Amino acid sequence: MNLDLQFMAETFIDVLHGIPVTFQIVIVTLLVSAPLGFLMTVTKLGDGRIGRRAAAAYVSFVRGTPVVLQILFLYSLLPTLLNYLIKEVCGLSYNIFTVNPILYAYVVFILNTTAVLSEVFRSALLTVNKGQMEAALSIGMNRFQAYVRIIIPQALTAALPNICNTTVNLLKSTSLAFMMTVKDVTAIAKIDASFGYNYLEAYLVIFFIYILLCSLVQGVFHLTERAAAAYKKPASVRNARRVFS
Amino acid sequence: MRPFHPQYILETLPQLLPFLPVTAAIVVGTVFFGSLLGALLAAGKIRKGKVGQFLANLYIYVIRCIPSIVLLFLVYYGLPELLNAFGIDINDADKAFFVITTFSLLFAATMAEVFRSAYEAVDRGQREAAVSVGLTEFQAFYRIVLPQCIRVAIPNFTNALVNLMKEGSLAYTIGLIDIMGKGQLIIGQNQSSYSLEVYLALFILYWVLTVLIEKGAALWERGLYRELKKGV
Repeated sequence: MNLDLQFMAETFIDVLHGIPVTFQIVIVTLLVSAPLGFLMTVTKLGDGRIGRRAAAAYVSFVRGTPVVLQILFLYSLLPTLLNYLIKEVCGLSYNIFTVNPILYAYVVFILNTTAVLSEVFRSALLTVNKGQMEAALSIGMNRFQAYVRIIIPQALTAALPNICNTTVNLLKSTSLAFMMTVKDVTAIAKIDASFGYNYLEAYLVIFFIYILLCSLVQGVFHLTERAAAAYKKPASVRNARRVFS
Repeated sequence: MRPFHPQYILETLPQLLPFLPVTAAIVVGTVFFGSLLGALLAAGKIRKGKVGQFLANLYIYVIRCIPSIVLLFLVYYGLPELLNAFGIDINDADKAFFVITTFSLLFAATMAEVFRSAYEAVDRGQREAAVSVGLTEFQAFYRIVLPQCIRVAIPNFTNALVNLMKEGSLAYTIGLIDIMGKGQLIIGQNQSSYSLEVYLALFILYWVLTVLIEKGAALWERGLYRELKKGV
């Protein structure tokens, strides 16, 4: 077995250009999915029967079908559907087929991550004792204040490990974005490999790239977890640290 | 926009169903080999040996970071070359071989964690009590600890199984003809004109399979708990 090392070095440099795209998908998806997921959690925990049913069905569907199928479906539906809506319904002359395909990637991964995060948030909110809300209300906070100042900070520490998991899984799923012609890490490696049939070398390179990216994500979450759990330490310890540092 | 024919979804379903055994075979094969490797990894984590723990943790860490599709391509292109270096020729091997190898490697990492958490969930006193009443070490594990481990492991195992089935749909990218692969073939035969209907038929199949697996697991779990309440 002989590997073309020079090719691997060149591919490595090439693939680095795909990292911003991969992270762009991850970050935009998380930023949009978090509030949507939270809304869905509130719907699930709320009193509305229809809302609860609909949310449960949505989560069941998204988690019960392969991401690759969702990608293929939406990628063959959305462009023609949007084109129809823009041209026929709105009467505009905008050409939807020139749009950056990363938008379709956002749609797929946002639909997916919203469902996953809604489950993560739900289990996190359920870990916070009911008395916390009652206590917050009893000292005169309104529901919104109680959520923002009392409930969410506590739920967040319980949710962070799961959010980390979700992010890692999302990062891995973005490797399928090449099916929507997005030029992410995997797509660049595939293109490089196709010139001289150096698939093995190219995939070895992104094998290591994904380990690096994934380690980076886990490192960031590790630090966040520590910061978020700071309130659990007694105030005296926290203040003592501040004095001495 | 091209017309949408809902009845074509129903016409596609019978064409996909004959390939369900392929999807199922991939899952069953992976569960078998993946669980074996997973048990080995879990043993490495549970035992006190530093080297075993390090290797098991490293393996699980690396696998957790790798997208399934990258590992699938790596195995598909890399394994023949690797084995070629040892004088073994698998260039004619069935595509299913590469798929099961890939997903076993992935599944093992998940199963290692499932096994470990299940083993640790059972109180140590159970084994000690079993040994103290005269059971051998093997009997204590097989009759007392294992049944309790299984009960704890069911929800996590179900999750892993559903994920495996969904990820297994990637096998079409190397040319395996399971339900997903057949769907792609049908789309290709019709010059992509019925893609939405075929994808919807596949959605239905996968969703039904997932719900069936989850409902089955829930029944199994409830059955085990009922047995426990009845007393032995």
